Amino acid sequence: METETIKEVGKICIPGMRLSSSDKGHLSGPGTYELKGYIYSMLTGVLKTEEDEERKATKICVVSPRTPSVLPVTGDIVTAKVTVVNSRQVNCIILCVGPSPLVRPYRGILKKEDIKFTDKDRIDPYKCFRPGDIILARVLPMTEIHWYHLSTAENELGVVIATAEGSPQGISMVPISWSEMQCPKTLAKEPRKVARVIPENINQALFPVDSKEPQKQNGVGNK
Amino acid sequence: MAGLLLSPSEKVYILHGIEDDFRSDGRSNIDYRPMELETDVVSHASGSARLRLANTDILVGVKTEIDVPKPDKPNQGKIDFFVDCSANATPEFEGRGGEQLANNISNLMQRAYHSEQAFDLKQLSIFEGKQCWKLYVDILILECGGNLCDAVSLAVKAALFNTRIPFVKAALLDGGNVDLQLSDDPYDSKLLEVGTAPLLVTLCKIGEKCVVDPSAEEESCSVISLVVGVTGNPKCYCSNEDASKLHEHISKCSTIAMNGPGSVAPQTLTNAIKQGINAAKYLDEALGKALLRERQDITNFVKHSYGFFK
Amino acid sequence: MPLDYRRFNGPEDSVSYRRFTEDYTKDYKQFLDELIDENGRRKGGREMDEARTLCMFFARTGMISQAKGSSYIELKRTKVACSVFDPREIVHQNEYSTLGQLYCEVKFAPFSCRGERKALVPDSDERALSVALKKALEPAVCRHLFPNYQIDIFIYILENDGACLPAAINAAGLALSDAAVPMYDIITASSVAISGDKIFVDPTDDEEQLAIRNHDGVNHGVITMSMLPELQQVSDYRQIGSMDADCVLNALSILEKECKKIVPYVQRVLVQNAINSFEQQKKLEEEAKEREEALNAKMEVWKSILNVG
Repeated sequence: METETIKEVGKICIPGMRLSSSDKGHLSGPGTYELKGYIYSMLTGVLKTEEDEERKATKICVVSPRTPSVLPVTGDIVTAKVTVVNSRQVNCIILCVGPSPLVRPYRGILKKEDIKFTDKDRIDPYKCFRPGDIILARVLPMTEIHWYHLSTAENELGVVIATAEGSPQGISMVPISWSEMQCPKTLAKEPRKVARVIPENINQALFPVDSKEPQKQNGVGNK
Repeated sequence: MAGLLLSPSEKVYILHGIEDDFRSDGRSNIDYRPMELETDVVSHASGSARLRLANTDILVGVKTEIDVPKPDKPNQGKIDFFVDCSANATPEFEGRGGEQLANNISNLMQRAYHSEQAFDLKQLSIFEGKQCWKLYVDILILECGGNLCDAVSLAVKAALFNTRIPFVKAALLDGGNVDLQLSDDPYDSKLLEVGTAPLLVTLCKIGEKCVVDPSAEEESCSVISLVVGVTGNPKCYCSNEDASKLHEHISKCSTIAMNGPGSVAPQTLTNAIKQGINAAKYLDEALGKALLRERQDITNFVKHSYGFFK
Repeated sequence: MPLDYRRFNGPEDSVSYRRFTEDYTKDYKQFLDELIDENGRRKGGREMDEARTLCMFFARTGMISQAKGSSYIELKRTKVACSVFDPREIVHQNEYSTLGQLYCEVKFAPFSCRGERKALVPDSDERALSVALKKALEPAVCRHLFPNYQIDIFIYILENDGACLPAAINAAGLALSDAAVPMYDIITASSVAISGDKIFVDPTDDEEQLAIRNHDGVNHGVITMSMLPELQQVSDYRQIGSMDADCVLNALSILEKECKKIVPYVQRVLVQNAINSFEQQKKLEEEAKEREEALNAKMEVWKSILNVG
């Protein structure tokens, strides 16, 4: 009976297990590490392989049944909640790294000059965020000990979910331009640094030009 | 160990030197740096020693007190080690900064002196089950230039060698309480037998090789070091006539510990232990000679006291 | 020693009653005879080189539900529980560090040891064990993945009958893996007690006490070693007592073998745990699906009611 369940679950890995050689055809993905020409597992979980089309290689990953103890790393896209806005910076709490939620909240700081890509000297944080907003941001290199530096200076980053002042909770505004959102209930318009969210299920082939251009400009790769 | 910043190219330089058995200060991988040792430097301590190993400076004072022996070891005295990392050595030790390092070293010393074969605590007994001597060994780190463990163990052994314990003239048992009478004359005292006291040898793994007596720069290139405590040879610590009476001595490991966040292969560990025992043997001989010469000088009143002026 | 004034402390000069029992006055020979019978077997029927079979129970939520990962290990009468928590900020840190820290704390239950009752404030034994545990675990954890943060590892020794450091290391290795903390390798540990030509593998408390005693200048001591089996690395090696070089090297090779023997047990526990958690996950997903279907059905019903109305 036991062997059956094992087959059902998939290939189980434990830390230190040698998974494959590390060469052109094999890349080390999340949950694995490379050492002396081999790829090893660093989590207990199930082996998953992905085809990386750009580099024509198999990416080897180990997926743990539990949320791995991960921290935001420089370059990661994080989901954060804005707590305090002042004229110089925006404080937030990081909730998720990529797809995985964090168990403990970690503090993040978004400096005024990192909010937008253009017009850096004319940014007013009050016109970009309000406490309670849920934002997408990228992690900048860590310089301070107790918080992470974030940036929303990309088209795809910024406010995703926001409620207008005075609107009832749970009614989120709809973006109407790059810098404005409107509440569907009260029709109040509020300024925000809006993120252009690309739904994951829309085929990328639909916007071949749009999705590539900003990537080149900002040097962003799909991680 | 303490706040030294080295660039990657400096580290590579040190590493390549060690691979070719030629270190940045001209030593080979098994050489120690020059040492200076002086005993009897602190007047209020029962025994003291100051050791300078290149830039590492250690001062050790031994105080003696009377204590009650542990119930499970009624015929043994006690010895305790305290390490103080002075903020003089490096600003990082300020406040509680050096605490962890200090704890580490004192634990290591305690373990090295734990075995009776390393240090016989029976010689500290005064009245079995009632009273014993307790030695407080206070180790002060004045300057940090790498290889603290080795320097501390050398200085401690020298200080214990120098320690004098007053003779007990009379002990009266008065209704369960012991009444001691000690001799007033400071020269009317006994010396401790410290021949077997262990010396620690640190072997620092840098690249694929192990070096003895790492400097601070070398320590910062290494992620793992092995500390081997080896018991001394009592023959080196007494005059020639007495030495011939003693048994043949076999050096034993009284403690082995690993420091640093890295790990080693079992084979490297084996080699390092052998290397450590060998190094300790030579170190012990040299220390014995130096201490005997010093004692000779003291008894002949020809000793020059340098203190801290040198 | 600092006194804990918030709790009732026994009289300062109290002595365990065992001090007055016969056990206490036994000499080395008697002690040894009692531990080894005429057939060369140990008390309890083990061979000299036979370790206690590990009974590992590995709980995902049962043991310590508040912790991210937990484990429990039993070596006959040595019982150790371990819990691991997620990375958190280091409180009194003012320096940037590229590597994360491990904070280890080993605590004996007050009633865990024979002889003296353990105080609630950590004593030197516990501190030394904590340092040893930290040293042993550091090479195994991918510390570069959580710079400036620390992972807390707590060990509670419920009952101590020798070999508590290896038990603690094994338990912590399991708990770290359970908590999905990235690790380079699993970690296994073992210890031996040496007294003369007798080498006790996985010693009990009595055997450890015997090995610590000096008798007639023979080799004696206790050695603990922990290994990363796949990478073939020794992560910690700790010895007290006094023994010659040959004895040390011999013990080292025995320990290496012992550490390898534990590997299949650890692997088994980890795999079983992974299967269990995947099954649990599947069950939860199925339940969620059922609930959603029920909800949808209800929606349909309401819709039809509304349409009719």
